[in-house]
Amino acid sequence: MTGQAFFVLTALAGGPRHGYGIVREVAELSQGRVQLKIGSLYGVLDRLAAEALIEPDHEEARDGRLRRYFRLTRDGRRALAEEAELRAATARVVRTRLGLTGAEAAG
Amino acid sequence: MSGGLDLEQRYRRVLRLLPGYYRDTWEEDMVAAFLDSWMTGDPDEDSVTMEFGRPSRPEVASVIGLAGRLYLGGAGAPRRYLAWGQAVRGAVLAVLLVHAAAGLDGLVSVFLPGSHRIVPAPPATIVTASPGGVWPPTVWYVTGYVWIVIYVALVLGHYRVARVAAVLAIVPALAWLLQGQLTGSLQSPFGSWAFWFLIDLAPILAMAAFHRDAPPAARRPWLLALPAYYLLVSVPVLAAELTGHRDWVPDTPGLCCILVAVLCLVHVPRAWSGRAGTGVWSLTLVMLAAVAGVYRIISLGDYLRDPHLIYYLQADACYRKLGQPVTFTSAAVTMAYQPAANQQPALYGLNFTLSAAGAAALTAITTKAFDSRDQMAVSTAGKTWGVFMTAGPFTNGQFGILVQSENQALQLQRVLIPRD
Repeated sequence: MTGQAFFVLTALAGGPRHGYGIVREVAELSQGRVQLKIGSLYGVLDRLAAEALIEPDHEEARDGRLRRYFRLTRDGRRALAEEAELRAATARVVRTRLGLTGAEAAG
Repeated sequence: MSGGLDLEQRYRRVLRLLPGYYRDTWEEDMVAAFLDSWMTGDPDEDSVTMEFGRPSRPEVASVIGLAGRLYLGGAGAPRRYLAWGQAVRGAVLAVLLVHAAAGLDGLVSVFLPGSHRIVPAPPATIVTASPGGVWPPTVWYVTGYVWIVIYVALVLGHYRVARVAAVLAIVPALAWLLQGQLTGSLQSPFGSWAFWFLIDLAPILAMAAFHRDAPPAARRPWLLALPAYYLLVSVPVLAAELTGHRDWVPDTPGLCCILVAVLCLVHVPRAWSGRAGTGVWSLTLVMLAAVAGVYRIISLGDYLRDPHLIYYLQADACYRKLGQPVTFTSAAVTMAYQPAANQQPALYGLNFTLSAAGAAALTAITTKAFDSRDQMAVSTAGKTWGVFMTAGPFTNGQFGILVQSENQALQLQRVLIPRD
């Protein structure tokens, strides 16, 4: 799973979101490290939808423009949990190898 | 305020790059997302933004990237686009196969017993108007071998490695072309530029078809295609060159056209039979035919410009020794050419005065090379130098070699004239 896909799924784990809502949430989650462009976002959404990890939730019209909301599917939630576990395990290995304690790692 | 429509319209104009089916589904959503990214909530500021704001370059680039993936069969694309993507991938692999086979040809030649295409390579920077320009010959050899890596990486699914290596692989040729164009030393500018754009650059751009959603290439057939191509095409060409039948070998664009024509002949009965999957191959062959045809037509300009090219372009891969080697051990550097006033960059040269015996041998060799439009290999000081073109028989015991800098002339002097 790519970093972008991981962050998009994580953004949707908090509830359904529309295009720019996902972009904003991803930027916040990544502390500004991942700035998704709209073209890239929809490429990621296409791929995740094709893999049945996300699906349309509902549509909302605001300022005369349609916004589609997406949500995680059950498979998406499972895939995200597995990826999070994998990344956490990797992070634990790195911390161990660097000899970092929890406090040091946090600090 | 009508200005509000301007930013929206600008975004819609950018989104026209996307396929129609995709715009029908996602245009409104994407426009909303784009505009949301600008809005601050301050009516005055938002009004100015809507009137004067423009899509940023990274945003436009992201849409171009998305469009490329969609047209070339990205996730969820209709069958038509999936077929396009597959056809482009086939065409890219076919062109890279030719590159890789040429690299394999060079690699095999190094180890071929008795081959005159030996290492050290003909020092391209040393002989006037030879294919080398600013780069030492090692670069050309390595570049040739890199195409093998690129091809195999692409077949095995290492797309990023293939892309980066391919970009690096075409840079030396571009530098050589630019240098040749600026100095007027390109023997075949039409064909050389056409080759670079059509056979080097275009496949690299088309590598966009190898995106994450693309199904992997059929590994075994494509990997086997490399040795098969080498045995069926490269070996016969090499054999024709080495046995003195190089007139039978077409030039590069001619060879490309023949290969595509043969593939079409093989494919037509399959396509007529309506077998599954032949439609994509038909599309691939149409693309390859277009590339080969355009390459052929453009390169004909060189023959119109200089009919003699027909002789020495056919010989551009083969260096053969003609008669007994002439050694320069008794020669002396007598002068260095001064650059002509209208010649940029300057050319420097070494003139060698030979002994009587050496002069006779040199006259015989250069007469034979000139008459046959053959290329010549000169062995001296334990090295073999390839002479791309013999301008005329050397009859007065003098032999001149032009180089592009005084430093190169001095280096050549050190190699050719061993010190006591």
